[in-house]
Amino acid sequence: MDDVGSVVAFWMLSVMTLGAAVMVVAVRNLIYAVLFLILSFIGVAGLYLTLSADFVAIAQVLIYAGAVSVLILFAVLLTPRAARDNAETFLQVPGLVLATLVAVTIGAIALVTDWNEATRGAFPETAGAIGEALLDKYVLPFEIASVILLAAMIGAIVLVRED
Amino acid sequence: MTMKSEPFVVNVGPQHPSTHGVFRLRLTMDGEKIVDAEMVVGYLHRSMEKLAEGRTYTQNIPFTDRLDYLSAMSNNLAYCMAVEKLAGIDVPERGQFLRVIMAEFQRIANHAMAIASFAMECGVWFTPLMWMFREREKILDLFEMTCGARLTTNYVRIGGVSFDIPPEFMPAARALLKEMPERIAEYEALLMENEIILARSRDVGVLQPDLAIASSASGPVLRGSGVMWDIRKADPYAAYDRLEFDIPVGTCGDCYDRFLVRMEELRQSVRILEQALDMLPDGPASVNVPLALRPPAGEAYARIEAPKGELGFYLVSDGSPHPHRFHIRSPSYINLTPLRDMVVGLTVPDAVITLGSIDIVLGEVDR
Amino acid sequence: MIFLAEWWDLRDLGNPVGKLLELLGDHGPDWLPYAVSAIVGSITIVVFLLVSLLAFAWVERRLLGRMQARLGPNRVGPWGVFQSIADAIKFVTKEAITSRNVDRWMFWAAPVLVAVPVLVVFAVLPFGEGMVLADLNVGVLFVIAVGSVTAIPIFMAGWSSNNKFSLLGAMREVAMLISYELPQVLALLGVVVFAGTMRMNGIVGWQDEHNTWLIFLQPLAVLIYLIAGTVEINRTPTDIAEAESEIVAGYHTEYSGIKFGMFWLTEYFAGFAIAAIIATVYLGGWTLWGLEEWVPGWIIFLAKLYGLFWLFIWMRGTLPRLRIDQLMGFAWKFLLPLALINIFVAGLEVLIWRENDLAAEAVLPGFAIANLVLAGVLIVAWARFLGRARPSWRPARARLVKELGAVVYGQEG
Repeated sequence: MDDVGSVVAFWMLSVMTLGAAVMVVAVRNLIYAVLFLILSFIGVAGLYLTLSADFVAIAQVLIYAGAVSVLILFAVLLTPRAARDNAETFLQVPGLVLATLVAVTIGAIALVTDWNEATRGAFPETAGAIGEALLDKYVLPFEIASVILLAAMIGAIVLVRED
Repeated sequence: MTMKSEPFVVNVGPQHPSTHGVFRLRLTMDGEKIVDAEMVVGYLHRSMEKLAEGRTYTQNIPFTDRLDYLSAMSNNLAYCMAVEKLAGIDVPERGQFLRVIMAEFQRIANHAMAIASFAMECGVWFTPLMWMFREREKILDLFEMTCGARLTTNYVRIGGVSFDIPPEFMPAARALLKEMPERIAEYEALLMENEIILARSRDVGVLQPDLAIASSASGPVLRGSGVMWDIRKADPYAAYDRLEFDIPVGTCGDCYDRFLVRMEELRQSVRILEQALDMLPDGPASVNVPLALRPPAGEAYARIEAPKGELGFYLVSDGSPHPHRFHIRSPSYINLTPLRDMVVGLTVPDAVITLGSIDIVLGEVDR
Repeated sequence: MIFLAEWWDLRDLGNPVGKLLELLGDHGPDWLPYAVSAIVGSITIVVFLLVSLLAFAWVERRLLGRMQARLGPNRVGPWGVFQSIADAIKFVTKEAITSRNVDRWMFWAAPVLVAVPVLVVFAVLPFGEGMVLADLNVGVLFVIAVGSVTAIPIFMAGWSSNNKFSLLGAMREVAMLISYELPQVLALLGVVVFAGTMRMNGIVGWQDEHNTWLIFLQPLAVLIYLIAGTVEINRTPTDIAEAESEIVAGYHTEYSGIKFGMFWLTEYFAGFAIAAIIATVYLGGWTLWGLEEWVPGWIIFLAKLYGLFWLFIWMRGTLPRLRIDQLMGFAWKFLLPLALINIFVAGLEVLIWRENDLAAEAVLPGFAIANLVLAGVLIVAWARFLGRARPSWRPARARLVKELGAVVYGQEG
């Protein structure tokens, strides 16, 4: 966080991410909510970029902005009561409390921790390192995750099959 | 657990690129599937049958041009045959042959349009349409040099035809017929074994033969279902009994079969035309008929195998110069009736090509 | 590849710009080169795209005219070359109608946003060795990620129009895009496996270094990517999202004037983008076996790009459109398994190559032949396995009969 550009980018992206996130819960229209969610995802991808994590940033755009949000859009459209708005719900207060607790916890940790400060170099080739880590050191969790996803997929198909 | 989606209605038409005019298809959909189809016609209704009752028999011929405006010659022919039957007029041999020649040229022009618009419905970007318009244009040129008009010809008259063919007609017609087989082979190369057309149209919009007969469908729609029926052979008119030709029939009654039948009919029409041009006798092309023709009281029904199917005119005369009753049995309208059974269970793109494969002209559906 | 890297060496237009940036970096604040390079790069890309668009809107129509036995535009200027300019003026001056019940914000935002992802793709594509705006480490992935985002503005357009046809078109587009992303990613992965890098310039350099194009090593992947790319740019065999015979104009049914113009223009831009990606990744980008020493690389690159775009025009003039379920089935049942086999084979080959320390000249031709044969065999075999061949009882042409009255139907007939 030494040069001006990074700082400006960080603040802009943070404001964009958080503002969009607030709008997700604030707007009434569900489609708008999803679109703000996408904006928030893109903001997070930008934050990754400022941290020199280009692979993660691109993966964030590809998976969250490109795929997950589209699935959410589909889900919203295909729900029978898709026209309903982002209405008042009884979960408002518990949700708010939970969010505050999470925010306080994270904030506290961020303030208390003694962070290691790394010097910022050129963009390192992170893709190779991530690939090696996934297929070497963390191959078991990686495979388990894919099996779980497969199980979820099969489960979803079984649930909605008409017979 | 089952997922239920609400049925919703899609209006295909009256303003839609693929309804061939102002036809409206009200599709009730369950997700992608069509569960019900309602056909709404009448947007082009011009009250022709009633209007015709106030005009003389000869004055009604131009009306018939406006029925199926893509095959005006055939319409003229059917109507004049009905009047001739009513009044007992015999047409000279040359006139009969000229009628066959014009009707068959018209069939090629119409089928070119039908096949092309079917291909457009399948999503080909204008290429077959433009190719087929090239030949259709030459046919329209032949019409123009014969009777001065290209689309609404008003050529066939009671008692014969309006004009004999000009001297330049024969070489032009022969040149066209000579290149036609090659052109048809080109269309076939482009469309017939095209994997995407096959995927789109095979087993789509199936019309069972019993339903086709029960709904009195005719023309390529009936023949596509494998029913061997052609009025040119069943009830020969003009000079068809002296000409040699085969009737193409399909096997499965789907869109692809109707397309194949039309393709083959192009070849058969070329065959008929070659014979008819060779056999064209000399002599007068028509007999003189009074303009204010007063047929004896009675009724007559004459039918022809128009490009789209059985086109019939039912006339009732009370002895006056005006028809007492003028009824058109139009193939497009009657071929539309089984559409609902053909499209239920399909998707919207399938319904569109099914409609395209029936080959309707709204001028004839609504009259 | 050693260019002089002097500012006057215009074989690579990156040289003068690079020198300029160096100069600015030496004498100005340190953010200045970044700002200038961003501005110069973006303007260059936009200008290049607009000029290509103006040229190809005309070329496409003339070519289609030739294919369709007609002339094509021939009124505005000699041979109608100014037709695209006339069209552009028409788009701008026509009224941009906003219907009453549309969602105004989204309706206006969609045509603005729709061009963004396509423009951004060009940032990572090298026009020449130094002519690349952002030579990202993860160029290949970037291209895919940005391509996947194009679905969102299109969805916004379809949803906000408040029209059933628009919504159907948008849903189709989005479904298509997410289905074809998978084969697309897997096809490009084969390239990454061979080249060992995701940097676009690195891939070009690898192809230059080994004197081969990846199209020879990855023939199956090229086909898969070409098909998936055609889906992404919405041209005829796959223009299902705007199939005019079915859903009028799909997601842009309600748009007119310059708002429609934006969608129309984006479609061309996307076509150029896909052609550029194929040219870079599979056809050696700006290299041509040494010719780039004599001819500027960007001319070679553009020649490849326009040649590929011509392929899209040809397809548009020839092929009919698939149905949406057939197209989706094609992605999942046909392309995906083939892409998986392809990536497996590519991995295997690279493993053999690297583990045994074989010379590239020795193994690459073998791999190329093996992969070509494999591609042919796989396509034919898999098509046989999945395909709906014509039943043997069904004649290829209509049956000819002379007698009347009988019915021949179905298998017994």
